[in-house]
Amino acid sequence: MALLQIAEPGATPESHTERQIGVGIDLGTTNSLIAHFDGTNLNVLTGDTGQASLPSVVYYGKSKTLVGADAEQQASAEPGNTIASAKRMLGRSREEFEEDPYIQLAAGESLAFATDAGAKTPVEVSAAILGALKDRAGPRLSGPIAGAVITVPAYFDDAQRQATRQAAELAGIKVLRLLNEPTAAAVAYGLDEQAEESSLLAVYDLGGGTFDISLLRMRAGLFEVLATGGDSALGGDDFDRALAAHLFAELSIGEPTAVQRRVALSLARDAKERLSDTASVDLDVSGLDAVTGEITVSRSTLETLLSPYIERTLDACRQTLADASIDAVDRVVLVGGSTRTPAVRQAVANCFGLEPLCNLDPDQVVAMGAARQADILVGNRQGDEALLLDVIPLSLGLETYGGLVERIVDRNSTIPVARAQEFTTARDGQTGLVVHVVQGERERVEDCRSLARFELTGIPSMVAGAARIEVTFQVDADGILAVSAVEQQTGARSEIVVKPAFGLDEAQITNMLKAGYEHAGEDMLARKLGEARVEAEALLDGLQAAMTVDGDLLSEDETAALQSDMQSLETVMAANQSDDIREATEILGKASEVFAARRMDRSIQKALQGVALSELESDVAEESTP
Amino acid sequence: MNATAGATARDYFSLFQLEPDFALDETALERAYHALLTQFHPDRYAGKPQVEQRVAAQFCADINSGFRILSDEVSRAEYLLQQAGVDLVAAERAGVESTFLMTQISLREQLEELAPSDAAGRQDLTADIQGHYTASRDQFAKTLAANAYLDAARHWQEMCYLSKLLSEPKLRVS
Repeated sequence: MALLQIAEPGATPESHTERQIGVGIDLGTTNSLIAHFDGTNLNVLTGDTGQASLPSVVYYGKSKTLVGADAEQQASAEPGNTIASAKRMLGRSREEFEEDPYIQLAAGESLAFATDAGAKTPVEVSAAILGALKDRAGPRLSGPIAGAVITVPAYFDDAQRQATRQAAELAGIKVLRLLNEPTAAAVAYGLDEQAEESSLLAVYDLGGGTFDISLLRMRAGLFEVLATGGDSALGGDDFDRALAAHLFAELSIGEPTAVQRRVALSLARDAKERLSDTASVDLDVSGLDAVTGEITVSRSTLETLLSPYIERTLDACRQTLADASIDAVDRVVLVGGSTRTPAVRQAVANCFGLEPLCNLDPDQVVAMGAARQADILVGNRQGDEALLLDVIPLSLGLETYGGLVERIVDRNSTIPVARAQEFTTARDGQTGLVVHVVQGERERVEDCRSLARFELTGIPSMVAGAARIEVTFQVDADGILAVSAVEQQTGARSEIVVKPAFGLDEAQITNMLKAGYEHAGEDMLARKLGEARVEAEALLDGLQAAMTVDGDLLSEDETAALQSDMQSLETVMAANQSDDIREATEILGKASEVFAARRMDRSIQKALQGVALSELESDVAEESTP
Repeated sequence: MNATAGATARDYFSLFQLEPDFALDETALERAYHALLTQFHPDRYAGKPQVEQRVAAQFCADINSGFRILSDEVSRAEYLLQQAGVDLVAAERAGVESTFLMTQISLREQLEELAPSDAAGRQDLTADIQGHYTASRDQFAKTLAANAYLDAARHWQEMCYLSKLLSEPKLRVS
């Protein structure tokens, strides 16, 4: 017989007092990992074969879909159905990959791979990888995953970040935060987390397909990203391709077939890894060319091939140091599998004049940091944890007259950030205005990445230059942008969350979700209802508590109005319709915004009193120490 | 056409509990900035209802804008002028004095003549510009304190020009 549980007097038997499960996911170009921090131990979760890293490869056959090592095994037999390095294509346009000999694109306008299971977008491929990680974690965790921190290259632009979020949504994973990979690595190292003295850290992150360099200042539990730079299309894959091209040249193979390319790439990867430990390797190239049996590749040949790529990473390092007005750092951390290459380590050491740190596994350090942060964000720790202040990697701006870019948010601005700027009309009687949002550092629109276009209409007819249009950019803590435009005199308003121009729209996502859930036999409606209820309950509980503590901030009328909206929400909750609950939650949320803002204003006082107090304490401490 | 800090016009000095003065204790500003972020960063609201997350994110954006504006001398000067109700567009139209215009032209010429390899020349010119900047800044502080806003606005423009010159790629260490 099950016994009834009796809560201790005064204790609150609420669900959030239990330990929630947050996971960290490193969705990599070549390999992906999932890790969990349970408050004591930090574990990178392994698959059935005990391997921590899951190859970021998906096989789409006629009758089955495979992910990871199983998919990789299909690569030589069915190269077209085996998709690797899809991360390079997240949030990108078809035009950028039409010339790529390693990819078979599906017919149509969107960027998708042609496979026997149909056209697959990079978002779907990424979702399959995330799903496989989630499945692997399931049996190793003590409960359901409440949310995940997913890492992205710091240099990812808005479209790439949104595509990553979409992939998680497709995989049924709640994203707590998109965290920049180098920042996650810094968290994993947790260097001198509580030291009062500030220190400067450079994180050099060279993965399979992306390169990031970030500079952080760390002091007293604060991780502050000062500047970030890099190249979202540069990595170990380029090393492999350079070496594969070298093999084709040696063998005088002018136009290699798809199979030959696969074979050469895998030979190149193997050679690159072995050359980290030995001075030269003999490669069996009989799979490429029946006549030639072996080719010898020396480490110095490899280094010559790699040096232009390594030099590009060092240029980015120097640029980022200049951006942050920093001459030297206290420490350098290496992240990413490609930093195992001795030539890379040597080049980094020379560039910074420091021996780089690499005591944590460079392949796992990002997932480990993400897991730590996930544990915080899921609500398991409060008050004393480290705080991460990140920045946006690329400037955001608008197209103005003559195809020039007017910059609105500078790169390396701390997020979240909001900035507004006024514009005016160029012609007499102009009643509409196209807002073209771009991201990048160049002055001309065509040299920047186009993020979105939208139209502001209903501007009253005036002479050129008389209208006053305020455009506001808001970037949230995930680095995702929302833009709004308001004509100041009429209040004509237009706003959008910038949807990735080359991503999927909401309808596509919904369709895929439906298809996926039917396939997996899960009940999407039940999940939606559950999520809606959790959000509604959190809002009601939060408001109830807030009104007890800060009720004096509301007038009698305001209190009555809020209570009536709360009552309405409670009523619809009884009916169990997720859309109704969502709507009522939204209404109550909007209605309580002013109250929330007043409460935050009140707590400013408290926050700064704390500072005054700690100042006093440190003064006393200084006096008492001789 | 200057970027402003979003829809909510908050007094940044009172946000950070500082005296609205050009002379500013940078350590105190940074300490208040960090204390506010520690409390209001979206990470602190991850499990909270969406309305609180939204308000916190806006608030945090305000805190970041405030810090960005107050921590830099030139933008702090501009902000103080705005707070005093000075018409900056009109001030820009009025321009700077002719003696400063001459200085401006001379500095610009020296910069153009500077050879990329001339490290000593670069140092001298940088020091020269910095000297002019310090003079303009001190004048700004003095005129602002005396409520001579038109003079202050003129010195603010000098500061803008000189600080921009200092950030020229040619003067930055290669």
